[in-house]
Amino acid sequence: MITAKNLTLTFGQGTPLENPALRDMSLTVNQGEFVTVIGSNGAGKSTFLNALAGEVLVDSGSIVVDGQDVTRLPTHKRAASVARVFQDPLAGTCEDLTIDENLSLAIKRGQSRGLTTAVKTRYHAQFRDSLSSLGLGLEERLGDKMGLLSGGQRQAVSLLMASLTPSSILLLDEHTAALDPKTARFVLELTTRIIEQQRLTALMVTHSMKQALAVGTRTVMLHQGQVVFDIAGKDREGLEVKDLLELFEKQRGLEISDDSLLLG
Amino acid sequence: MLSEIALYGAIETGLIYGLVAFGIYLSFRVLQFPDLTVDGSFPLGAAVAAVLIIDGVNPWLATGAAVLAGMAAGAVTALLNVKLKILNLLASILTMIALYSVNLRIMGRPNIALLSEETVLTPWYSLGLSYQQVPVLLFVLVMLVSLILLWRFMKSETGLAMRATGANPRMARAQGIATGGMVVLGVALSNGLVGMAGALFAQSQGAADVTMGVGVIVIGLASLIGGEAVISPRSVLRALIACVVGAILYRLAIAFALNADFIGLKAQDLNLVTAVLVTLAIVLPGTKTSIRAYFARRNQ
Repeated sequence: MITAKNLTLTFGQGTPLENPALRDMSLTVNQGEFVTVIGSNGAGKSTFLNALAGEVLVDSGSIVVDGQDVTRLPTHKRAASVARVFQDPLAGTCEDLTIDENLSLAIKRGQSRGLTTAVKTRYHAQFRDSLSSLGLGLEERLGDKMGLLSGGQRQAVSLLMASLTPSSILLLDEHTAALDPKTARFVLELTTRIIEQQRLTALMVTHSMKQALAVGTRTVMLHQGQVVFDIAGKDREGLEVKDLLELFEKQRGLEISDDSLLLG
Repeated sequence: MLSEIALYGAIETGLIYGLVAFGIYLSFRVLQFPDLTVDGSFPLGAAVAAVLIIDGVNPWLATGAAVLAGMAAGAVTALLNVKLKILNLLASILTMIALYSVNLRIMGRPNIALLSEETVLTPWYSLGLSYQQVPVLLFVLVMLVSLILLWRFMKSETGLAMRATGANPRMARAQGIATGGMVVLGVALSNGLVGMAGALFAQSQGAADVTMGVGVIVIGLASLIGGEAVISPRSVLRALIACVVGAILYRLAIAFALNADFIGLKAQDLNLVTAVLVTLAIVLPGTKTSIRAYFARRNQ
């Protein structure tokens, strides 16, 4: 369970460019939930995810992951409980390392690393198994450099790497946004499959309202660093994009002006 | 052409600079950390080993102490960068400058002669090999052990974490790797190797001198880049072998250039020759493809 309480974060505090990204924001994600997060540009989606991952530290508030207060911990000390897939398909993997080296890095996520061989032969069966589930033929290319793969293939491997070891939460930061539509659909299907099979707790930021309703068990909308609505279960069933818009207008008395949010 | 003495001499120093090239491979290539500390940690290793040897310490222990001293110097550079956020290049220049004073303090004078002292080479002269062959044999052994240890380390969990730190620090952190710690460890290891090279160099040349570090970084880079031009570094093992081959080729090229009377070069031209060789090593791999492209166009 992840509990974020009263998170506040202001970029460039005390300068003319002062920009409040999170404003007293709170959200609790329960075990096994798959939360989709939407919001227009500057709503605080990515900042919230970065705060959970430890890439940025909040000014005030607290973040508790499975009973442990991680508010002040840097990224690498949270890695045991927080798995992550980045928006940039090139960011989640190392192109100079081979596929099996990348997977071997991920299999030790958050654990201590010693002087024994990194790519152990006993990993190979597991690597082949999970790679073949992608249906991309990568199980035959374990020794290939990551840089030889396409963006979509690399994002699929990133997703695999994030789910190789158990985590308290999987953070997906618009991880299909930089892919072409066909590949994006493939990666999204893969995401839901992995999350369902492994019963992962996940938080997916997306730019598209349609996508936010199509997958997951709960949808949260952020606006100006706060939660405007949070729907799950029966309330969420059968909802369409226009219902979300009405909900937003009712809550805020505002109309959504961000085209990409409507068109995506 | 080369005399036998010049040939063995070139291989001997080439092997020592191969260790420097290992260090530079670790910092420049693996960690993407341009580290100039080596110009200070090379004479530091020599100074520590020389002082201990004239004090009667076992020469292998003295060499070990030189490795530790080099590691400490590297750790200072890395900590200046990681903890105090000083730009990596500048941090290494600061340590390098500071080491000049430190080295003078350690030695107590600008140079120490080791000609009559017992060094790591002394016991080997009784094997019946010629005076030129002994250092080559010993340094080949040292080089082989270092290469295998370094290669195994790069393939280990920690070594892989270090490679990820240099290649993609954000991803490395997300995998739970303390990237700052990896930079400190890597730069320390790099300068430990360079300290060892300095200690061995002082023992084979018969003296430690406070100015012996000038330009070591360029020689190391020349070896690294030259080696990569000859052997493409597709894997860690190939990259390490490229370092050794590059360093020996570099010394052979220098020895040849200085020995060939018809070119008319003298010892004082060494740095000029080095600069020209480094330039060639950087430019040539690119021209190879453009020459190929030229012939491909002509044959159409």
